[in-house]
Amino acid sequence: MDNFQELLHGFTIAITVPHLALMVVGVLLGILVGVLPGLGAPNGVSLLLPLTFGMQPVSAIILLSSMYWGALFGGSVTSILFNIPGEPSSVATTFDGYPMARDGRPTTALATAFGSAAFGALIGVILITFLASWVAQVALAFGPAEYFAVYFLAFASFVGMGGAAPIKTVVALAIGFAIAAIGIDTVSGSVRLTMGVDELVKGVNFVVAVMGLFGIGELLVAVEEEFHARAVSSKIDWREVFRAVGRLPRHSVALLRSAAIGCWMGITPGGPTAASFMSYGIARRFSRRGRYFGTGEVEGIISPETADHAAGTSALLPMLSLGIPGSATAAVMMGGLMIWGLNPGPMLFVDQKDFVWGLIASMYVGNIVAVVLVLLTVPVFAALMRIPFVIIAPLIVIICVVGAYSVSNSYLDVVMMLGFGIVGYLFKKLFYPLAPLVLAIVIGDKAEDAFRQSMLMSKGSLGIFFANKLVTCLIVAGIALVLLPLVLQLARLGRKPASPTSETTAQEKVII
Amino acid sequence: MISRRALELATAVLTGSFGVAVVVSSLDNGIGWSSAGVDSGTFPFLTGIIIVLGSLYNLVRGILPVATLANIPVAVTPTEMRRLAGLFVPAVIFVAAIPLLGMYLAAALYIFAVLAIPMHQSVLRSLATAAATALALYFVFERMFQVSLPHGALAAAFGF
Repeated sequence: MDNFQELLHGFTIAITVPHLALMVVGVLLGILVGVLPGLGAPNGVSLLLPLTFGMQPVSAIILLSSMYWGALFGGSVTSILFNIPGEPSSVATTFDGYPMARDGRPTTALATAFGSAAFGALIGVILITFLASWVAQVALAFGPAEYFAVYFLAFASFVGMGGAAPIKTVVALAIGFAIAAIGIDTVSGSVRLTMGVDELVKGVNFVVAVMGLFGIGELLVAVEEEFHARAVSSKIDWREVFRAVGRLPRHSVALLRSAAIGCWMGITPGGPTAASFMSYGIARRFSRRGRYFGTGEVEGIISPETADHAAGTSALLPMLSLGIPGSATAAVMMGGLMIWGLNPGPMLFVDQKDFVWGLIASMYVGNIVAVVLVLLTVPVFAALMRIPFVIIAPLIVIICVVGAYSVSNSYLDVVMMLGFGIVGYLFKKLFYPLAPLVLAIVIGDKAEDAFRQSMLMSKGSLGIFFANKLVTCLIVAGIALVLLPLVLQLARLGRKPASPTSETTAQEKVII
Repeated sequence: MISRRALELATAVLTGSFGVAVVVSSLDNGIGWSSAGVDSGTFPFLTGIIIVLGSLYNLVRGILPVATLANIPVAVTPTEMRRLAGLFVPAVIFVAAIPLLGMYLAAALYIFAVLAIPMHQSVLRSLATAAATALALYFVFERMFQVSLPHGALAAAFGF
């Protein structure tokens, strides 16, 4: 009941005129970056970050999180109307959303997508409401060793469940750690890995990496294919909206299953993209109409959308209660938290009650605002897609350049951003996952500090990671997750000795 | 035309050399255990080793004729290559021009060049788009958010 009272208090913070206005602005900007291919939620949130420095932290996080919800919804609009996923996490929505819209039922497709997305988000927020403070309570007793174990578990779950090739995930993670280590070492004060470039002493800001990896990288992937925005009609028939939402309860099994998959993938950082693909794949296998998937099936829209939003929302749970972001966008938000002088993690629930519960309450309100706004603005943003890509692409380049520069007024950052752009393009093209890379850049230092503090406590013995039940469980679970892909591969080899080893992961198969 | 295999190899070499650079550089900070605890080079050293080993694995996987790789032998076709260059080369020139011309002038010229030269738009409309971009940048950043973007050596020479 304590939580409930805190939540009510949170609503009194969230439902004020300035905060509602921020939600509207955030959601609209979010839909904008979600609709534009090449600009995604991580970029959008990083771009807004410098503008929030003068705000109250709770107002700032409401703005940024609303933008996140908007981007999640905006990505689905273009997936359904244009067959162009505005966000990586809405790729799976194109499979059935676009065929349905092409069949002359765009309103049904959009309403189904938004309805199930809102349901997924709601489940995610409810989970946060009831679980976050409990997790934080447990985490208050954590020492450095436990923290390192939790970080290790988070990174291990990327390897075991992220959906990309495991070794590529490991390389991406390790590169992120190395980038995080560049600059002044927080423990000893010595300068590391600057490779002779004095300006690197300040380190590599994650915003610069995000602009390049997600912005320029995604743009380069997008420009390869000539876009033909062959839009189906973007008129909204309001009666059909209510009818489509009214039909949703018939698919409650798919809704609940997808929400569960989404929450799981959001909390154990797998991210929304992996969640939506996994949910779509499982739905295709278990649905009675599975063989019609790809031709405009309702459950083919419900499954990825519910999971996408459930994962996107619940990704904030580990960020708030443990200081471990569950997705790339959550990682950027957590970077913001640190810039605003907050310490993400269990102490937030003790010191910053207003902030935490204001945010959680705003998630309920923000998602309602997002559904309404996205339905109202579909025609506007659909018209935006008719602007030729040759005009939009250079504008996005300029936005990324200015965004990278304004982080710390450094020209080197802009050059590095372009370099990250090439890396982002190569990684996307070859299915290296980007989310773990960003995650490692943001929390690499904290993981390293936790490791070194534990080593100091134990005087250099690794035994501290097996000193009590909790830490042993976490470490063992982490090791099991890292080994999971290997075990699966061995099992597959054992069954079919002659079968060619498959490098293609589930996600790649769907894309190819 | 670039094959998927070549792209895999190039990426593995790129990540691998970054790993080697990290390993070499971390040795300067000392690795292992000292009186102050774990030396500051240890953690980067370990990540560097992991990067190198992982890259080697990806390199070998890229060379081996794996069935799924053979299915999609072409990663980038010549047309796609042209489109990529069409976006990236002007972007690099734009960034390179910033120190001399400043953000506003460079951005305006960049927009004008990519729109007018391949004749996506008429010269007049390209000019208008370019001017609008520079003005929007100026008002949003310099005026609304008080963020100063680089004005460039040229502007400095004229005393701005």
